[in-house]
Amino acid sequence: MTDIILSLSQATKLYAGVPAIENVDFELRRGEIHALVGENGAGKSTLTKVMAGVVTLTSGQMTVGGVSFAPKTPLEARQLGIAMVFQENSLVPTMTVAQNLFLGQEKFYNRLRGIYIAAQQFLQSLNFDVTPTATVGGLGAAKKQMVEIARAVLHKAKVIIFDEPTASLTPEEKKYFFDLVRDLKKRGVSIIFISHALEEALLLADRITVLRDGKHVVTDDASKFDRARIIQAMVGRDLSNTLYGARKDSVRPSGRRVLTVQNLKMAPMVKNNSLSVFAGQITGVFGLVGAGRTETFKIVSGVLKRDFFHGGEILLNEKPVRYRVPGPAVKAGIAYVTEDRKVEGFFETASIARNIYLGLLAKFPSGRTWLSRREINSAGKTWIERLKVRATGDEIKVVELSGGNQQKVVIAKSLIQDPELIIFDEPTRGVDVGAIVEIHELINKLADEGKAVVVISSYLPEIMALSDRILVSRQGKVVEEFSGLEATEEKIMYAAIH
Amino acid sequence: MIAIIREIANRFLGRGDATITVPSFDGALKPNQILEQAETLFECEAPEDLATDGHSLFIADGTRLLRFAGSSPTLIRTFERPISALAVLPSGGLAVALGGREVHIYDSITAETPGAVFTGELHAVNALVAAPDGTLIATDGSCERDVGDWARDLMELGETGRVFRLDPKTQTATQLAGGLGYAFGAVASGSDILVSESWRHRLVSIAPDGARKVILRHLPVYPSRLVPATGGGFWLTAFIARTQLIEFVLREPAYRRRMIAEIDPEYWIVPRLRSGSSFKEPLQGAHIKTMGVMKPWAPPRSYGLIIRLGADGSPRYSLHSRADGLNHGIVAAVEVGGDLVVIAKGPGRVLKLPLAVLDKEARL
Repeated sequence: MTDIILSLSQATKLYAGVPAIENVDFELRRGEIHALVGENGAGKSTLTKVMAGVVTLTSGQMTVGGVSFAPKTPLEARQLGIAMVFQENSLVPTMTVAQNLFLGQEKFYNRLRGIYIAAQQFLQSLNFDVTPTATVGGLGAAKKQMVEIARAVLHKAKVIIFDEPTASLTPEEKKYFFDLVRDLKKRGVSIIFISHALEEALLLADRITVLRDGKHVVTDDASKFDRARIIQAMVGRDLSNTLYGARKDSVRPSGRRVLTVQNLKMAPMVKNNSLSVFAGQITGVFGLVGAGRTETFKIVSGVLKRDFFHGGEILLNEKPVRYRVPGPAVKAGIAYVTEDRKVEGFFETASIARNIYLGLLAKFPSGRTWLSRREINSAGKTWIERLKVRATGDEIKVVELSGGNQQKVVIAKSLIQDPELIIFDEPTRGVDVGAIVEIHELINKLADEGKAVVVISSYLPEIMALSDRILVSRQGKVVEEFSGLEATEEKIMYAAIH
Repeated sequence: MIAIIREIANRFLGRGDATITVPSFDGALKPNQILEQAETLFECEAPEDLATDGHSLFIADGTRLLRFAGSSPTLIRTFERPISALAVLPSGGLAVALGGREVHIYDSITAETPGAVFTGELHAVNALVAAPDGTLIATDGSCERDVGDWARDLMELGETGRVFRLDPKTQTATQLAGGLGYAFGAVASGSDILVSESWRHRLVSIAPDGARKVILRHLPVYPSRLVPATGGGFWLTAFIARTQLIEFVLREPAYRRRMIAEIDPEYWIVPRLRSGSSFKEPLQGAHIKTMGVMKPWAPPRSYGLIIRLGADGSPRYSLHSRADGLNHGIVAAVEVGGDLVVIAKGPGRVLKLPLAVLDKEARL
């Protein structure tokens, strides 16, 4: 019997023609803990989603126990013993632990007491201290994780995939979680473990695979890795990559302070965060998932609210501000270009012109009762031309545009407000190569015009190419600041992880 | 009535004036170790202020006035009271503030008797600067507390700082501004005077007609003396840094009253010019020490900082000695030759930094 329980060869997954993973070879041994590490967008989640049947491969082959297998749904994968524990857990919060455990295995007649007894016995066999009658919504992160694991084991999973399992755990809970994983390994279960915390990967894993830009970089025994080698493998891309421009040889000096964030708190994501943003400069904000970057700037722009008690202070042009909704922030000159354009960025069935004009409407002090079609079309034409949106007309629906052009519409919607502070959250995520260059040119132009620009990005080359100063965020607060001249990918990644 | 309710709500919710926050050291104020690594020219007991005539460096050290030209300081003269401020006048004369309560103006550095003496209204003169019109600008930190008792003035939220124009010809002192939150340092900026308001963490420009304009606010430190810099702009020294602990104490009047009444001033929860000499010193929790090692990013009880300001008053870059350093309590700076010379009052050091490399190193 082969020692390899799951393998992928030449695995490629394309999203709208863009490869998320490309020709990746991967092998998982029976009873091993295999850590999967890489930057955001390296393809870790896509690779594991392929294994769990959440997405299907565009090309390549996957085998389970030596047999070729291509799960089309998570159910198919689960039936073959592959279970995935997602970062955002998939439990139903209003149901009890026992009900969640047996979800999908219900019989025609379910005796609740029987389910509770079975769940109790099963949880005890795993030595999990979770009450089966407790509602899942009331459990802490670690207990929810336990229920997820228990469900995977209950489904007789031979392979369990954990996507950032420790992101929301306290140090004590992490220790307990590590014991659980080791216990599962003793039972012969193979574990795939995605983590940004490298010390966890080094501590827990038998082998480590590093992915970069959707490609396999290296797989080796964990004992042969140290932090430096992993980081080198994670970020060691070709720096001559011209897509993101050459390395900066000068930076813009900081102008007056436009935004000051002081001891901002929003549990559990933003923890005592402080930073400043200056006019005439691009401030890059880098951090791994869960670093609290997006949340901080969503609070600044009124999309989220800071903590009710002692939530800290935000000063715009040295005056304290507190926005409960985005409207007043827009009127005060703050524009937030969302990272999730499809959900928060535009109305997909409305035309380009109408979407852009919506941005202007938000700026009017008391809104508008009547809309002028001429004004809408004029605004649309102006900004389509200015941002080079490639569309056959301004009446085209946004949903019909490519990702890059959709992003330009979202940006135009913000720029029409003539903001003083512009926050770009992942401005080139899911954007084609040509549009990336154009968006970067636009961001640079805004800074040259004296605007205060913030670029939040998980992609290091983008941060390095754009930023005059780089703030590195970790665990809810800014932990390091680099000048655009002194920053290196290794330095930034080190600060983001340690 | 609504204002009262709002104030009560703010205190409960930690908002408005009750927000206990401190601006971060970032941008031009990004921490470095340049000040900590500076060369020590010499050490003395109680350095307080610096001045230069363009060739020699003059140091006020307690009651002694020293001249530094070469490799070691020489004593010029000794006063009967400690020198609290020092200025060399464009005419070659010398101005000294003694004990904060008197200002003596001498026609030359070596003159035995003062040509003019100002007393009376002055209480805590801590900086003297020559104005372009031949007069002297003096900042008086507090009307209630002596110049060395600044920590008490901070704990009492003192707002009695003043700025005077001293005219040696007529021997008159004219008050230019009052009600300042500890005036500590001034410099002529065109026809206006730029004044440090330490307890309000800001720089204020005062016009000849008395009109005030805030040039720089929300500093994460308590600013002190100002001196002109080569190429335009100024050097601003900051003698202590703000922390959330101190901000919290400053919002608790009952606590402060009891602390002042019952605790040895050495162990008050106040910023200091030096720290780490006793385990009894109050510290702000979290990340102070790990395995016995003081972390540079720890909330500091004492700190060292000089800020290079542009001509418009905006920070360009800064030089730091962080929580784990020694060169704390920077109270004076002056450019001499190609160097920036500063006083770190905490350890009693006079430091030297070459100007040529500062701009490049500190901007990184």
